[in-house]
Amino acid sequence: MTAIEVKGLSKRFGSTLAVDDLSFSVEAGRIVGFLGPNGAGKTTTLRALLGLIHPTAGSATIEGRSYGELDDPSRAVGAVPDGGMFHPGRSGRNHLRTLALAADVEAKRVDELLELVGLADAADRRAGGYSLGMRQRLALAAALLGDPRVLVLDEPANGLDPQGIRWLRDFLRSLAAEGRALLVSSHVLSEVAQTVDEVVVINRGRSIAQASIGELLAKRDGGVRVAGPDVGRLAELLERDGAAVTRGDDGALLVADRSGEQVGALIAASSIHISELSHAGQTLEDVFFQLTGGDEEPAG
Amino acid sequence: MSGALASELLKLRTTRTFLGTVLAALGLTALLAGAAAGVAPYESGDIPGADVLDAAGLTQPFALVLGILAVSTEFRHGTITPTILAVPDRARLMAAKLGAHGVAGLILGGVSYGFTALLVLLVLPLRDIAPDVSLGDAIEMAVGGIVCVALLAAIGVGVGTLVRNQVGAVIGGLSYMFLIEPLLTALPTVGRYIEDYGIGGGINALSETTFAGGAELSQPAGAALLLGYTALFAVAGIATLRARDISA
Repeated sequence: MTAIEVKGLSKRFGSTLAVDDLSFSVEAGRIVGFLGPNGAGKTTTLRALLGLIHPTAGSATIEGRSYGELDDPSRAVGAVPDGGMFHPGRSGRNHLRTLALAADVEAKRVDELLELVGLADAADRRAGGYSLGMRQRLALAAALLGDPRVLVLDEPANGLDPQGIRWLRDFLRSLAAEGRALLVSSHVLSEVAQTVDEVVVINRGRSIAQASIGELLAKRDGGVRVAGPDVGRLAELLERDGAAVTRGDDGALLVADRSGEQVGALIAASSIHISELSHAGQTLEDVFFQLTGGDEEPAG
Repeated sequence: MSGALASELLKLRTTRTFLGTVLAALGLTALLAGAAAGVAPYESGDIPGADVLDAAGLTQPFALVLGILAVSTEFRHGTITPTILAVPDRARLMAAKLGAHGVAGLILGGVSYGFTALLVLLVLPLRDIAPDVSLGDAIEMAVGGIVCVALLAAIGVGVGTLVRNQVGAVIGGLSYMFLIEPLLTALPTVGRYIEDYGIGGGINALSETTFAGGAELSQPAGAALLLGYTALFAVAGIATLRARDISA
């Protein structure tokens, strides 16, 4: 079943078209990264999906229904909205208790979740004194109150230290392993690259790509780097084959127009002794910048 | 009790705002009622018991502000997002907030009128002053006054939903109550109607205040009038909240 479906979604704020005819979907049990530079329309899209803002056109549904039509929204979908959404004078535990009451969730679930996200010790302190990482943990606990099948997280790694990002990554993986669908937005590809199954890349409110990380990697160019004692022979063979070969400063070969697999096959067939065969040039991040045009100009 | 209402009641209990409002209202009431009971001179024709009891009416603006904060605080701190995610039906959310703040208003009014009633019973006899008010009239005043405080809290919820800026909503609400409407009553022709049928007219009639020199409307009519204003602000508030994009 399609967990999340965004179809032809547009949202206009005054003269700004924040989201422009956007379509993508998330299947159950998948983690999808929702990527784009700041101002690309990610938050607007997620808020439309959660019934918080009214789309100008198109639809955004969860398990085939708009958020407002869900019978029991907190059991269907949990959300971590962008930024800390707490009353600074209320304790973390009381914040969760108010939401649990509104969502008809048992009170003991609050304590379970505080334990799960590692906030049990700080639960009775006023949330205004929480660190950014603690706020994100509290927001995650709130999202999980109804044990939802779908999770929507807006920039959950924002402001987390490397340790926090690692904790988050493991936590999200464990949630997906339980069969949940996750849509995780980020403006930094590396934050989510190791967590997600696929990515939806948007820029200026429009979808640029929906692809698996593998497919995205395949879009890389920049060639293959080979080093070792026999690279001179390899260069001759490759050049005879019409490949574009250049020599690096350290004597290694750079092959621009052959894949690692092709070069590897040639090395094996010719019994050439090498010490290194690696991808050169573009990183996944480069592909992301290339897709989004590398601009960070806010579009809404 | 619905989960949404229970949630709103818990929200009120878990910040210092409600307790602070009750204490501030009680402090001001204590000051004025204490003066009325302890030192104010009374002449024949005065009704000392009613004057002291009436000081609890000072709680009204505090109730209005408490109501205004209900929704405006949620927007200010962004808690409106998790709140609406938990209760996506915005009309139901408003109903829960109206109910919870109505209850809070009843408590606020109850505490204040209870306090001034104690002063009537305990302090006036010390000065050998007869309250000159029957138990029936005193109960009528107190019940009307308490309901009035509750309705003002509910009206505040509507006002705080209509006016997005928290400070603007509080200042605007209080200015209307104490400045704008009293000024409007001075207008030729329409002024009289505003005095009788404005929010202030409803408050005076419902709380049977002795300060305004008697209200035109009966107490039940005053209750109906204020209930009408509450409904008006509630409906406008629901429409506004429904139409609004929750983007912060």
